[in-house]
Amino acid sequence: MIPFAFYLFAVLITGLFLVAVLSRNVLYAMTSLAAGMVLISGLFFILGADFLGVVQLIVYVGAVMGLYAFAMMFFDVSREVRETRSNPWLVFLLGGGIALMLVVMFAAPIVGDSVKALYPPVAHTTNPQAVGLVLFTKYLLPFEVASVMLLVAMIAGIILAGRKMEISLSAMDEDILPETKENA
Amino acid sequence: MSLEQFKNRNVGVQHYRMLDLSHTPQTGWGQFKQVVRRTLSLELFVGLKVTLREMTKALFFGKMHTTKYPFEKLPVGPRYRAIHEMKRLLESGHYRCIGCGLCEKICPADAIRIETAYGEDQRKQVQEYTINFGRCIFCGYCAEVCPELAIVHGGRYETASEQRASFSLFDDMLTPIDRLKEQKEFPGYGSVSPDADKRIHKTPLAY
Amino acid sequence: MMEVTYLGVIIKAILILAIISAVAGFGTYIERKILAFMQRRLGPMHVGPYGLLQIAADGIKLFTKEDFIPQNANKLIFMIAPIITAATAFIALSAVPVFPDFTIFGIFVPSVASDINIGILFVLGMMAAGLYGPLLAGMSQANKWGLIGAARTAAQFVSYEVVTGLSLLAPIMMVGSLSLIDFNHYNETHAWMVFTQPLAFVLFLIAGFAETNRTPFDLLEHEAEVVAGYATEYSGMRWGMFFIGEYANMITIAVLASIVFLGGYTDLGFIPGWLAIILKIAFMFFLMLWVRASWPHVRPDQFMWLAWKVLMPLAVINVVITGIVIMV
Ligand code: SF4
Ligand code: SF4
Repeated sequence: MIPFAFYLFAVLITGLFLVAVLSRNVLYAMTSLAAGMVLISGLFFILGADFLGVVQLIVYVGAVMGLYAFAMMFFDVSREVRETRSNPWLVFLLGGGIALMLVVMFAAPIVGDSVKALYPPVAHTTNPQAVGLVLFTKYLLPFEVASVMLLVAMIAGIILAGRKMEISLSAMDEDILPETKENA
Repeated sequence: MSLEQFKNRNVGVQHYRMLDLSHTPQTGWGQFKQVVRRTLSLELFVGLKVTLREMTKALFFGKMHTTKYPFEKLPVGPRYRAIHEMKRLLESGHYRCIGCGLCEKICPADAIRIETAYGEDQRKQVQEYTINFGRCIFCGYCAEVCPELAIVHGGRYETASEQRASFSLFDDMLTPIDRLKEQKEFPGYGSVSPDADKRIHKTPLAY
Repeated sequence: MMEVTYLGVIIKAILILAIISAVAGFGTYIERKILAFMQRRLGPMHVGPYGLLQIAADGIKLFTKEDFIPQNANKLIFMIAPIITAATAFIALSAVPVFPDFTIFGIFVPSVASDINIGILFVLGMMAAGLYGPLLAGMSQANKWGLIGAARTAAQFVSYEVVTGLSLLAPIMMVGSLSLIDFNHYNETHAWMVFTQPLAFVLFLIAGFAETNRTPFDLLEHEAEVVAGYATEYSGMRWGMFFIGEYANMITIAVLASIVFLGGYTDLGFIPGWLAIILKIAFMFFLMLWVRASWPHVRPDQFMWLAWKVLMPLAVINVVITGIVIMV
């Protein structure tokens, strides 16, 4: 049962991500990306990591939703996107090379047959507790660094977006409007 | 009378209640105070209370407003002017229309069609009289111009029908002879006098 | 505790599907009736006794309507979008315990179809995934109103998901588990969470209204502003699926609120547990309709303002205070 489910999910996820990369239509690409992300959470569920699965679901559903917002602003979704590739071979080599490297990196331990859990799950803990234990002991520093980084990004985003928030174009007089436009 | 007074159509005493609209707070602190005040004064729940009150009224105190329309009808006012009616003379029951054709002439929508012919008594007789309700704009000119008060607007307001002809023929609009008693006459300027039957002479056709 | 068999789970799944789709259909009837009563009208009356068969009439209408796909729409996405909404709504329900465990024909039927021990997160995640339905529908239909609806979906989702999560965090901290069954057991020994976490309850309700796209916050298809928003180009059964999804989500939110905050399906005095939860869900459902009849829509900018400047700080403060109280 489990191998079957794994291969099903694996094939589906790979296929969806292929569509995401190869499709010329923004909507197809985004949707298959989102669907692939949702299916990845299925892999976590198979492994019994329910908590991580749901986190994957919630986080990536939200993240891809943000991407959709960009797609909405930048593209006309009913048309195909025309890409200009000045050097297709370079792109292919670089992209393919990076992909190959990643695969080798992740597959190497399997070949060496040395996949070992560095932190075997503590007995009698539920899923979220196990994640919490690892997160707040071994990985405390990376965790905090990541949170600080996200905080910095968030504040930077607010500052970038909020600089002209006090000015309301609709509440302005008509005659000063053009001049503000030039300044902006 | 100045133009200002002329434009003032507020006849009678008005009972407007002016809302106490405090102006929008300018500072952030003011906005914050407004939010807190509005939240804590539980204004939102007044709305919930009102709808619940209406529901209990409707369900338990028989204050339901619905009229089940095709089965129940609200009475229309006597002055309502909808689908035309052709009137009869009160005494003899003969239709009042003398076939003068004025209504056909005046109709701005060209909706009326009238055909007249000799009757056996050598008088003008209405052969055919139709109003195309697909075109009629209910302007009321035909009723206005009719010298005999033969065509008036009635209270029938359901202008939906499977066929246009079903209420546009003379006989359909004419007061049924057995309901002559129910034909209402309204007194006043221009109304038909009670002895109209004697005084109205049928128009001779030779003109 | 009896053993959970496949058969029991299957029975439960069928029960959920059958009951919830029936209740979702019936919900449209209830909604019309209650809205009508609140405006002192009668509501549907003519199809069947007291208009009860109106649902059947609507079903026939939806099934026989032309399934219309606009010319420039992205056909595939346009067609699967409503399915996403309906399917995720039911998947979310699979992790929600609706009734207590019971035994039928000697088969043990568990209270929840799939008892994953992070039930509450799963439900939230699935409801979040359900918002892809409106988003994709709005983007694929080549209609500007739809696009605005989709943009609003994205904004609404990103804002209110935060509030729902944070508002539920304080109860989760008190219970110490993410399983909805544990929440229910917690209620057996403790006071209802409404009394210990009133702020979280209010926040959850507000965010729940936003997530289910119910009236004070139904900006996605606010007909006075954006025609029908994401559903502008939909007709027939595809539109009906959005509808079923919305009602199933309403029920999910009602069940979640009943279990987390209102004592779940524990026995309530002389009222047995299964009746108690039905009453609670019915009350929550009624509350949604009541609010719809009473309150006007909010403006989109006020809506965002409410989420980020009022609800989220309140939720964070609530979490912090709960944490301090638990520690002390
Ligand atoms: S009401 Fe006006 S439009 Fe209608 S038939 Fe009479 S004159 Fe013609
Ligand atoms: S104006 Fe009156 S009397 Fe003359 S034809 Fe018309 S309905 Fe008859």
